[in-house]
Amino acid sequence: MNSDLVIKDLHVSVEEKEILKGVNLTVKAGTIHAIMGPNGSGKSTLAYTLMGHPGYIVTGGEAWYRGQNILELEPDERSKLGLFLAFQYPVAIPGVTVANFLRAAINAHRAEEGKDPKETAIPMAQFRKQLREQMTALGIDESFARRYLNEGFSGGEKKRIEILQMAMLEPSMAIMDETDSGLDIDALKIVAQGVNTLYERHPEMGVLVITHYQRLLNYIKPHFVSVLMDGRIVREGGPELALELEEKGYDFLREEVASA
Amino acid sequence: MTMKTFPPLAEISDALVIERSRAAGEPEWLTEQRADAWRFFASAEPPYWRRTDLSKFKPEQVLAAADTAATSLYQEEDVTDQGVVFTTLAQAIHSHGDLIRRYLGAAIDSKRHKFLALNAALWQDGVFLYVPKHVNVELPLTAMFSMPIPGGAIAPRNLIILDDGASVTFVEEYHSVAASDQAFAAPVTEMFLGNDATLRFVAVQTWGEDVYHIGAQKVRVGRGASVEWAAVNLGARVQHIEAETALEGDGSRVEWVAATFAADHQNLLTAPWLRHIGAKTEAHMDFKTVVKDQSYTTFDGMIKIEHQSRATVSRLEEHALHLSPKARSDSIPGLMIDTNDVARAGHASTSGEVDEEQLFYMRSRGIPRDEAIHLIVMGFFEPVLDRIPNDALRQRMAEMIEAKI
Repeated sequence: MNSDLVIKDLHVSVEEKEILKGVNLTVKAGTIHAIMGPNGSGKSTLAYTLMGHPGYIVTGGEAWYRGQNILELEPDERSKLGLFLAFQYPVAIPGVTVANFLRAAINAHRAEEGKDPKETAIPMAQFRKQLREQMTALGIDESFARRYLNEGFSGGEKKRIEILQMAMLEPSMAIMDETDSGLDIDALKIVAQGVNTLYERHPEMGVLVITHYQRLLNYIKPHFVSVLMDGRIVREGGPELALELEEKGYDFLREEVASA
Repeated sequence: MTMKTFPPLAEISDALVIERSRAAGEPEWLTEQRADAWRFFASAEPPYWRRTDLSKFKPEQVLAAADTAATSLYQEEDVTDQGVVFTTLAQAIHSHGDLIRRYLGAAIDSKRHKFLALNAALWQDGVFLYVPKHVNVELPLTAMFSMPIPGGAIAPRNLIILDDGASVTFVEEYHSVAASDQAFAAPVTEMFLGNDATLRFVAVQTWGEDVYHIGAQKVRVGRGASVEWAAVNLGARVQHIEAETALEGDGSRVEWVAATFAADHQNLLTAPWLRHIGAKTEAHMDFKTVVKDQSYTTFDGMIKIEHQSRATVSRLEEHALHLSPKARSDSIPGLMIDTNDVARAGHASTSGEVDEEQLFYMRSRGIPRDEAIHLIVMGFFEPVLDRIPNDALRQRMAEMIEAKI
């Protein structure tokens, strides 16, 4: 079974406006792949579409992962297949604690058809131990386990909780949507370290890092860099491409694309 | 369970009410009060309520309870040696007649509508709770009311009196296990808090599906006293509850939360009134409603800041969540300010379907849609359930809500 994420000629519209205009991209299992692009290029649209947000309408193309066209699956089915999206703007769920939410998510992953959910559920002690370990590693205070998910959290706290969820769910293909936005350098380092630790523990996993700036890529080193502009991948390369963009800005590419 | 009953309501006369009262050895003032209330009930037209559907309500033939078989009292510790009185009102009338005479009817006007008068005329069930000065009762005291015969009627009368500095948790619970014929509950609860007293009041309504519940509750709050009021409304075919907190004493306060969940064809109305009378009174109200299927709920609230009040703080939150497009929830919040001296008064209200962004977020973590809705609804009610001091009761409420989603 192929654990690469293979996106073919993906077209996506939001409110009848075409945002992605034929994206072709392969994120290989076991690699870290950065997508860079200026504002409005379609980066977040790509992230949301891969996870199955109902507001993003796929008008053409495919996205294959583990033998399935994931565009035909519900968001929860995609999650169970191993996909994970770290949100740029995580949503608050009032009244649902971080611990209860995570337990529900883990148990949903462990559920098996025809089996009593009580049988497949993670034992409470094991869950608590895992949660405590991961929170410590990410420098999240224990009290957060009992707080309502993302309610009243600062931008940095929300991002850490996203990484906590990723660490607990152990996805095989993680998409990080502008995880660096709104983070100061210390928070950025912790978040990046969380991603790197998980990747070291699961070297077979794929990571798609979506970012506007090169800054994050100093801490999460990509194997490949693709540039998204006006709904299309316009350039692919290695880590040196990110540095080139940092130096020259997106305009030089825009001019290149226009004259091509 | 068996219970004695009155004849059908249509066949009762004031002479019978007087006869029964005297036979029970009740004091003359109460006999007169009952007869007077009965005459009002018999002559008054049914109230016209735009949002409470009484078109199928036929109380003429119901058999009202003539004993206290529907009342069960629970306490986890013996509190009598602290001077606390916790017994049926029917019993207490013989031992604490003078105290009852002073307070009975001193909060709620029986002639506001005929069903309150019915309660004043025929009450048998109900509890009397008196907590003396500076006595602190740790564990909750519970009065549970059931519907002992199908198609019956009960009119519990609850009188709760906290002397200065006293504190207690009182739970009133209305429940029937199975569906029955059209039944009728007309309870009235009056609560009085002396200075610096603290009352945690939990009111739970989980009747079966054919019960009409038409009731009233009011608490009068003394100087520096505080109330935590949590209401959970899950049952009944029709509910019409008029509830009031009167912050009379300076520095008195209330934290008032409610959870209402209507499904099928339920028609559940809550009309909470909040009156700021004393200086520096403070109120926080948080009312949560979930509607499903073809149910209909109404929040008909009113906050009144009286002329003599000063430096009032008042905050109202009311939120409704719709689980199906045919369900309906009306919200009619009112605010009357009769003074220039208000410290803070605020109101927030939302109504709508389950948030798609929340659903997507949860589903992106592998949680299936149905379960995500469960979690969102439970989370929505969490601030209310969190206020129920009794673990077993909280657990039971959570399970009933779960089952209803």
